[in-house]
Amino acid sequence: MKTFARLLGFLRPYRRAVVVSFALAGVAMGAGVLIPFIVGQTIDRVRHGRTDLWPLVGVLLAAGLLRLGFSVARRLVAGRVSLGVEFDLRNRMYTHLQSLEVAFFDGQQTGQLMSRATVDLQAVRFFLGYGLMFIAQSVITILVAAGVMLAVNPGLAGIALFPTPFVLWAAYRYGRRNRPASQEVQQRIAELTAEAEESISGVRLVKAFAREERQLTRFSHATRRVFDQSMVSTRLRAFYNPFIGFLPNLGLAGVLVVGGRQAIHGTITVGEFVAFYGYVTLLASPVRMLGIALGMAQRAVASGARVFEILDRRPRMTAPPDAPPLPAGDGRVELRSVSFAYDDGPSVLHEIDLHVPAGRTVAIVGATGSGKTALVSLLPRLYDPTEGSISIDGADLRTVDLGSLRREVGLVADESFLFSATIRENIAYARPDASDAEVEQAATRAGIHDFVAGLPDGYDTVVGERGLTLSGGQRQRVSIARTLIKDPRVLILDDATSSVDATTEAEIKAAMRELMRDRTTFVIGHRLSTIALADEIVVLEDGRVAARGTHDELLERSDLYREIAEKGLPDQVFLTRKPAEREVAGL
Amino acid sequence: MIRRIRTIIGVIRGEEAQRLRNLRGVLELLRPYRRRVVLMFAALLAATGAALAPPYLAGRAIDDGIRHHDIGALDVIVVLFLVSALVNWVATYAQTYLVNWVGERALQDLRLRIFRHLQSMSVGFYARRKTGVLISRITNDVEALDQLVTDGVVTLFSASLTLIGTVVILLLLDLRLALVTFAVFPLLAIGSVAFRIASSGAYRLTRETVAYVTAYLQETLSGVRVVRAFGQERRHQRRFAELNDDNRVANMKTVYLNAAYFPSVELLSALATAAILLYGGNQVVHGQGVTIGVLASFVFYLQSFFDPIQQLSQLYTTYQAGMAALDKIFELLSVKPEMVDRADARALPVVNGEIRFEDVSFAYDPDDPSTLALEHVDLTVPPGQTLALVGATGAGKSTFAKLVARFHDPTEGRVLIDGHDLRDVTERSLRSQLGVVPQEGFLFSGTIGENIAFGKPGAAPADVEAAARAVRAHDFIEKLRDGYETEVGERGGHLSAGQRQLVAFARAAVADPRILILDEATSNVDVHTEARIEQGLRRLLAGRTAIVIAHRLSTIRGAGRIAVLDGGHVVEEGTHDELVEAGGHYARLLRDWAEQAAA
Repeated sequence: MKTFARLLGFLRPYRRAVVVSFALAGVAMGAGVLIPFIVGQTIDRVRHGRTDLWPLVGVLLAAGLLRLGFSVARRLVAGRVSLGVEFDLRNRMYTHLQSLEVAFFDGQQTGQLMSRATVDLQAVRFFLGYGLMFIAQSVITILVAAGVMLAVNPGLAGIALFPTPFVLWAAYRYGRRNRPASQEVQQRIAELTAEAEESISGVRLVKAFAREERQLTRFSHATRRVFDQSMVSTRLRAFYNPFIGFLPNLGLAGVLVVGGRQAIHGTITVGEFVAFYGYVTLLASPVRMLGIALGMAQRAVASGARVFEILDRRPRMTAPPDAPPLPAGDGRVELRSVSFAYDDGPSVLHEIDLHVPAGRTVAIVGATGSGKTALVSLLPRLYDPTEGSISIDGADLRTVDLGSLRREVGLVADESFLFSATIRENIAYARPDASDAEVEQAATRAGIHDFVAGLPDGYDTVVGERGLTLSGGQRQRVSIARTLIKDPRVLILDDATSSVDATTEAEIKAAMRELMRDRTTFVIGHRLSTIALADEIVVLEDGRVAARGTHDELLERSDLYREIAEKGLPDQVFLTRKPAEREVAGL
Repeated sequence: MIRRIRTIIGVIRGEEAQRLRNLRGVLELLRPYRRRVVLMFAALLAATGAALAPPYLAGRAIDDGIRHHDIGALDVIVVLFLVSALVNWVATYAQTYLVNWVGERALQDLRLRIFRHLQSMSVGFYARRKTGVLISRITNDVEALDQLVTDGVVTLFSASLTLIGTVVILLLLDLRLALVTFAVFPLLAIGSVAFRIASSGAYRLTRETVAYVTAYLQETLSGVRVVRAFGQERRHQRRFAELNDDNRVANMKTVYLNAAYFPSVELLSALATAAILLYGGNQVVHGQGVTIGVLASFVFYLQSFFDPIQQLSQLYTTYQAGMAALDKIFELLSVKPEMVDRADARALPVVNGEIRFEDVSFAYDPDDPSTLALEHVDLTVPPGQTLALVGATGAGKSTFAKLVARFHDPTEGRVLIDGHDLRDVTERSLRSQLGVVPQEGFLFSGTIGENIAFGKPGAAPADVEAAARAVRAHDFIEKLRDGYETEVGERGGHLSAGQRQLVAFARAAVADPRILILDEATSNVDVHTEARIEQGLRRLLAGRTAIVIAHRLSTIRGAGRIAVLDGGHVVEEGTHDELVEAGGHYARLLRDWAEQAAA
């Protein structure tokens, strides 16, 4: 009930429009309900041999026109309200999601979140936008029609209205039972889609192992499951829909039996008989609608609870109000006994102390899971340390304005996510106002300009899901360019060249070296060539700094580094290099 | 000019022929279920007929029962009324059930047919098409047909029958009053069709705009780390609000259309009622054949006259969408498989594993032989040897491997295994002696055990484990919480790259193929996994003929022979030592790399 009340709160900005639309609906429905009554009156006049039908027919037409006018107005007002509520809800949800910190998203599957932001939100906005209006309209129609009938002939009204609660109940029940059934159909279609997708993506394997039969059997099973569940849904529909259609006929039969007798005995007129018949047919659809809308309301409350779960989640990563921007400086980074754990998990970093003078390039090496990525994720404050503190140029990250911090810290992650937009827009992501020359310069430095320039649409080529598919290496270089255009004080390359082939890496190495010159840089990498760019190497082991020093020092001092260097690093890809381009590589 | 008209006529004729072919295809799908289809139509006829009775009976109740003070007649009519309501109930149940049963079954058959057809296609077919497009043939397009086959067919027949039935009944009841009633017909029909056309465009726009909203939401959620790291939340909020507003504007158009149409239909209905009362009332009073009961029947029938016209107008959109889907589906089904076994193809006997390329050239686009991916390759791999293919991206390494698996046939020359030209043997017999390890360790959803067993139909758990042990995958699998029963997630997402690689090794090992094709992974894995992969690989290659697209030095060194490819040519061949000695391409590559690694 509390959820319901909160849901109604979304209508508050539109309360006047809501009241107006209810009033309009009341008049329109009232006019509509008048019509069978006038038909009855006219028929009585005819029965008495009178030909002065015009006045009554005139009233009927007036009622029709009144209904037209008020219905149009009601639809316009109510439509505006429901679209406004929808617009507000979506924006509110989106803005809220954008205010939440990265850690929140780690704990959520994107699919789950999407389903809340779309499916649940839709249930809520359907109810607020249309459901409430359905309920109001139906209730008004039912009350007015029932009122007229009761006024004319209470006994007959009782008989005519007898099936109404059953229709309501059946429609409500149908909605409740069919909903999960048809959701399950969708679920199984999704499974079938996944099955087809896998067979198509893995077609080479299927063919190579001659396992077409297996895939066919599995797919056939998936189609069978869809069929079976569709039949569950069909049986419900086949039962309820005709049943709901049948019930009002009982009311009509009652009117025929009892009303017919009353008419024969002269208790009611033929016109009243006709009007009653008309009312029962008129009521069938609003009653059904009311049942559906009540089901909607119930769903909206359930969905609303899930929506509020997100909206009520406070953003945990905020800067104090009026936080000053990051002070000017050259990028001195200090970590003081920093420990960190993702969410409620075990600590992945333990009391790390690290002072990096401005302009220094630090390579971070270590086995998978040693905490490399966690460490660098703290610098742009994607996460806050659980203990200890981090400062850049003397300012604790938690005390400065988030926007200013993230402008000065550039992170190139190992999985380069690009937006479905042009290459230009992707590179200029942080600075949409960047000139073409700046974009091209960043691309050149990242070693992607020649490739982009060679595309038919050049920098206007759309990439990402709905555009050109770039290779991993190309994506990485675009994302390097995207970071470079920010000209950050602190640069982080988290395995940023892992998918760039050796030739290209060699090509961009010189440029990278130049880039690192004026800023503090953290590099995570596996290749010796990458690590060789560093002034200093930090070896991480189980979230602790195991050793620090130059390549040569560490080879001598650290067993772990020696193992990594000997086994892991040298034995890497080299033969994909294009022989013709050796000169270009400058080696 | 004349020619242009002819072309246009030709196009139209072509389209018609296509539509006809499509419809024939649909009928073909329904053929196995024709008995149920006949039953369905019988039920539909009964339901429609029964639904038409009540307004007539109500009129008769007034004339025969009330006006003649005949309670007996009234009761007979009430019984008939209830009977018709019951018939309608039962028949509608049967019709709904049957139409959905037949429709869903036929579409299931169609899905299977498309799937089977896709499986008969060669790898080249897939290379030229996007996965998403092929999938939407099986899903979205078949669902668009669902609308047409179930709702569309029922609406078409029941609405038409209701309309025709009502018209006939009204004409029989009173010709002139019927004609007066029909006066609103053209207005209603034209208005409805115009409304549907306008609103189908408007609704398409709302669907498109809401798809943008959803896609944008999805994208910025997937890329949330980037958004945060670059501090661009504000900009995304603004853009989202814009897209959201586009959707609102598009929706507003449908609100306008609905606000104009539905109340107007209600007004038309009031107009028709007024006309019936005015004209019919006068007829009754002047005793010109119309009775009070008939007058009432006319008013009651208005609904069954208005509803079907509105429903039929709705068919337009369903029909359009369904036909478009049919076009796409049958277009796909009409593509002929490029590679089928010859009529006289023999089964490949159990082979030793000698692979021979005889003057093989290959072009992916046969119409453009200037883009040869392989050019005049002559090469023999003796049984049991590992051949490492080395060269730059695009040098022809994977093309070479694909020809061995007969994913393509050579444009010129022959590929032979143990002296059998691959084109002379059946695909199945060749592939059953072949194992493939793809580069990124593609896994199917399911458990690790299922993925390994994929390599060999009917593999027992013991076989699976033995294979995993053989390639050193067993250790890590055993340590997982559910062992071999561990779900690998979408595309093996729950496993690391190195672990996926090991599972792919085991999958190939369980097949125990004579010939192995392996595309080595380039991704970085940590030291321990790296060592394990190296050992697993050595064991997997032992005793088989293997073609390895190699990236790691240790693999290349360990190979029995190395072929260096460049621009589709084999430029150098020999063992590691021989090639270093020779001081050619390979030696140069090696030197460059060593310099770079040391830099």
